[in-house]
Amino acid sequence: MSLPPDYSNEISALNREILKAQPVDTLQFCANFFLRRLESQRAEFLLSQQHQHSSPRGRGMAESTFPGSNPFSTSPGLATGGMHRLEEEEESDSIGSPTASSFPPSAMDKAQSSTPGEGTFGNFAGFSAPAKGKSTAPPAIGAADAQSFPSNYNLNRRTSVSAESLNPASSANDNWTPPYHPKSPEQQSRLKAAVASNFLFTHLDDEQSAQVLGALQEKPIPTKDIKVIQQGDVGDYFYIVENGSFDIYVNKSGKLEPGPEGLGSKVGSVGPGGSFGELALMYNAPRAATVVSTERSTLWALDRVTFRRILMDSAFQRRRMYEGFLEEVPLLASLTPYERSKIADALETKKYPAGTKIINEGDVGESFYILEAGAAEVYKRGVDKPVNRYKKGDYFGELALLNDAPRAASVVSTTEVKVATLGKDGFQRLLGPVEGIMRRNDPSKMAAHEDGDAVDPLAKST
Amino acid sequence: MATAIHKILHPHSSHSKGERDSSVQDDHEASHDRQDSDMEQRAREDEKRGLMQWEDRKAPLSPGQIDADPDRKMVGHSSSVLRQEDFELVKTLGTGTFARVWLVRLSEPQNNDDRDKVFALKILRKVDVIRLKQVEHVRNERNVLAAVAGHPFITTMVASFQDHDSLYMLLDYCPGGEVFSYLRRARRFNEPTSQFYAAEIVLILEFLHEREGVAYRDLKPENILIDAEGHLKLVDFGFAKKVENRETYTLCGTPEYLAPEVIRNTGHGTAVDWWAFGILVYEFLVGQPPFWDQNPMKIYEQIVEGRVRFPSAMSPEARDLISGLCTVDTSKRLGNIKGGAAAVKEHPWFRNIDWEALYHRKVKGPIIPHLRGPADTRNFDEYEPESANREPYTREMSEKWDECFKDF
Repeated sequence: MSLPPDYSNEISALNREILKAQPVDTLQFCANFFLRRLESQRAEFLLSQQHQHSSPRGRGMAESTFPGSNPFSTSPGLATGGMHRLEEEEESDSIGSPTASSFPPSAMDKAQSSTPGEGTFGNFAGFSAPAKGKSTAPPAIGAADAQSFPSNYNLNRRTSVSAESLNPASSANDNWTPPYHPKSPEQQSRLKAAVASNFLFTHLDDEQSAQVLGALQEKPIPTKDIKVIQQGDVGDYFYIVENGSFDIYVNKSGKLEPGPEGLGSKVGSVGPGGSFGELALMYNAPRAATVVSTERSTLWALDRVTFRRILMDSAFQRRRMYEGFLEEVPLLASLTPYERSKIADALETKKYPAGTKIINEGDVGESFYILEAGAAEVYKRGVDKPVNRYKKGDYFGELALLNDAPRAASVVSTTEVKVATLGKDGFQRLLGPVEGIMRRNDPSKMAAHEDGDAVDPLAKST
Repeated sequence: MATAIHKILHPHSSHSKGERDSSVQDDHEASHDRQDSDMEQRAREDEKRGLMQWEDRKAPLSPGQIDADPDRKMVGHSSSVLRQEDFELVKTLGTGTFARVWLVRLSEPQNNDDRDKVFALKILRKVDVIRLKQVEHVRNERNVLAAVAGHPFITTMVASFQDHDSLYMLLDYCPGGEVFSYLRRARRFNEPTSQFYAAEIVLILEFLHEREGVAYRDLKPENILIDAEGHLKLVDFGFAKKVENRETYTLCGTPEYLAPEVIRNTGHGTAVDWWAFGILVYEFLVGQPPFWDQNPMKIYEQIVEGRVRFPSAMSPEARDLISGLCTVDTSKRLGNIKGGAAAVKEHPWFRNIDWEALYHRKVKGPIIPHLRGPADTRNFDEYEPESANREPYTREMSEKWDECFKDF
C-alpha cells in the first residue's frame, strides 16, 4: 500500500528544508516545520472563511464590490488574519470624493450642460460591461461622508491596455507632419475653449496646441439619427461639437444591439462646445456609449495616432535638442549618454519677455541655463557694451552646478526667449555632485572641449 | 553540471542559426505526413530529458549565469524540435486577448517521476497576434524572457518553439496562483507581508532595469504569482521592452497603474515601473489603488495630477515610500534618482529586509501555498473553454509575417 500523496508531499518538503538548513537539533527543526505549515495553512483557511462569510456568493474573488463596501471602514470582524486595520483619514481636505463622479448621474448632468468645455465625457467606464451595473449601488457608508474613498472599487482582474506602437526613429526619417485643416479665428477660439478643461490638452505647449487644433478635421453630419459612435465598437476618434446636437445612449449589455430597444437608455445629450470619445485618444477601448445626432450637425474629429504622434514628435525633438546642447557643455563632457538623457528629461522650459535679466551679476547662482530660442546679451559691471551675445544653443550659469560663487556677469534677453534650465539641487538629485562627475574626466578630453569663454572648471575648483 | 545540461538541451548548438531556421521551415511544410528522422527523434527525446532535469532542480541561476547568451544557457532557448504534441494540455491557467496559458505535462512520460512534472505552456495564435497588432510586443516578450531566464523571482521560460499557426513559451508552473487572489481574499496585506512581497519586487526591478535595461511596464498584483515555496514570480512580459537609455512612446500598461508620463506621451523609460511599484505597495496596504474612478479618463486625470491620499492608519514610512515613488516629476521619483534601486532598498520602510538573504530565497514567505502536489491547480480560477471557430493562418500571412517570428 502506498502512502497518501499529501503525506509524501509534506515529507518531501521537509526533506528539502532539512537539506537546506542542515539543522543541529533535527527533532526541534521538524516540529517547528510542521507548526509553521499548520500556521500557514490555518491562516489561508481563515482568509478564505472570512471572505466567504462576507461575500454572499461565496466565490467572492470575482465580485465587483468590497463586501463591507468601504475598505476604510473599521468593522471589527474583518481586522483579523493577515489583515491590517486602517482607519479613515481624519483631517478633512478639499479633494472631492472620487466616488462623487461615479458614472451615470454625474455624466448625465455634465452632458446635459451646454456650457462649452463642460459637456465632455470619456468613453464612460471603459471596463468590461458588467462593471457598469454596479455604479448604481449606493455606497454603504453614508454618502454625506465627502472624503470617503471610492467604495465601489472594481475588484475584478484588470485588463491591460495598449495603443499602436509609436516609433520616433521612423518618424524622424519619413518627415511626418500632422495633417492641417484651416479654421477661422472664431472656430479656433471655440475649439480652444472646448478643450480648455480637458487634462489631455491643458498640458500642451503653444506649438503642440496649434498642431492639435490644426489637425482637427471637420465632419458634417447631414441629418438626424446618424450614429457617430456605437457602443462596443473600437474607438479611434475624439469629437468636438461645432453645431447641432446629439443624444447619448447606453445599453446595459455593453454594446449596441439590433432592434428598436438596441440603443439602450438615454443618459444625456451634448451640444455645441461639448465633446465626446476622448478615451479613444489613449488606446482603442470599446466605446462605452452610442452617440446619435438629433439634427443636422457639424463635428470636429481627431484620431488617436495623429494626436499621440504630435505629442511624441515634439517630445522626441525636444529631448534630442537638449541632449545636443548638453553635449556642448565642457563641464558635463563626461556624462554618459544615459546620464545626459536623464538630465535632458529633467530640464525645465521657461519663457521670458525681451529685456528680462535672467541672471544677475553678484547673485549666488543656483541654476544652469541653455538658450533654446531667442537671443540674449551679457553685461559686466563697469563695461558699457555687452561683453558677449548668446544665441540658440548657447549656455550660461553652468558654474552654479559646481559651487556657490556669485554670478560673474548678468544675462539680459534681447528678444523673447525660451530657456531650458536645471537647478543644482535637481542635478545632484539625479546624478550626485558635479565634482564627482568631473573627477572621472580625462583632462586631455577637457582641453579638447574648451573654447573661448569657458573656464576650465577643474582648474578653478582646485 | 551546467555544461552537461547544456549539451543535452542543445544538441544542435554547433549548427549555424541559418541551418536551424531552415529545419524549422521544413518542419512546417510537412509536419503531418513525414516521419521524423531518427536524428530529430533523438534530439527531441534529449530535449525533453533536459526539461525534466530543469523541472527537477529548478535552482535559480546567479546573475552572471543569467546574462549568458540564451543559446548557451540551460533555459530560455528557442527549440527547433519541441512540438505541441509533446505536451498534454491539462487545464487552462489563464487567458488573455490573444494568448492562453495551460498547465501541461509530457504526453509520453518516460517514468512515474516525469508524470508528476508539470509546466505552464503559453500558446499564442499568430493570427490573433497580428490582428491585435501585438507582433512587436510578443517578440519583446520572448526575447526579454530568454534574456532573464533563471532569475529567482521571474517566471523561467524553459524553452520557446512554434508551429505553422502558433507560438509557444514553455514556462515553469507556479502552483500558488496570483498574489491578486490572496490580496482580494485578504482585502489588504499587513505591513510585514507587504514589505516581503514589495522587497522581492524591488530585486526584480533592480535586475531588469540596471542589469538588463528592461522596462517591465505592467506591474500589478495580477501579474505576480506565488511559487510552491511562497516566493514571488513575475509573469507576463508582454509589454516588457529593452529600452536602455532611450525613451519609448507606445502607451501600454493597466489603467490604474499607468505613470503620468505614459498618459501624456512625453516619452517613458524604466521609471514607469517605480511609479507602478508605488501604486502596488499602496494597493497591498490599502486594498485598492490610490487613483480610481468608474470613468477611466477621470483616473488618468487624477494620475497626471498625482495627489495621493493616504488612510490615517498607514505608517509614516510607508507614506514616505509611496510618495517618493508616485512622484509625477521623473527627475524627483525615487528609484529613478541617484542610487536607482539601491535608494529604494535603503528606504526606512525596508529596514528589516536582509537583501542578500532575500535574493537567495532564504527568507520565509508569509504565505506558503498548501498544495496536494506539484500539479495542484486549486489556486487558479476556472476559465471558459477555448472558442472553436478560429481564423486560419493562411499561407499569404505566413509569407508576410513568419520572418517576424523567426526568433521563436
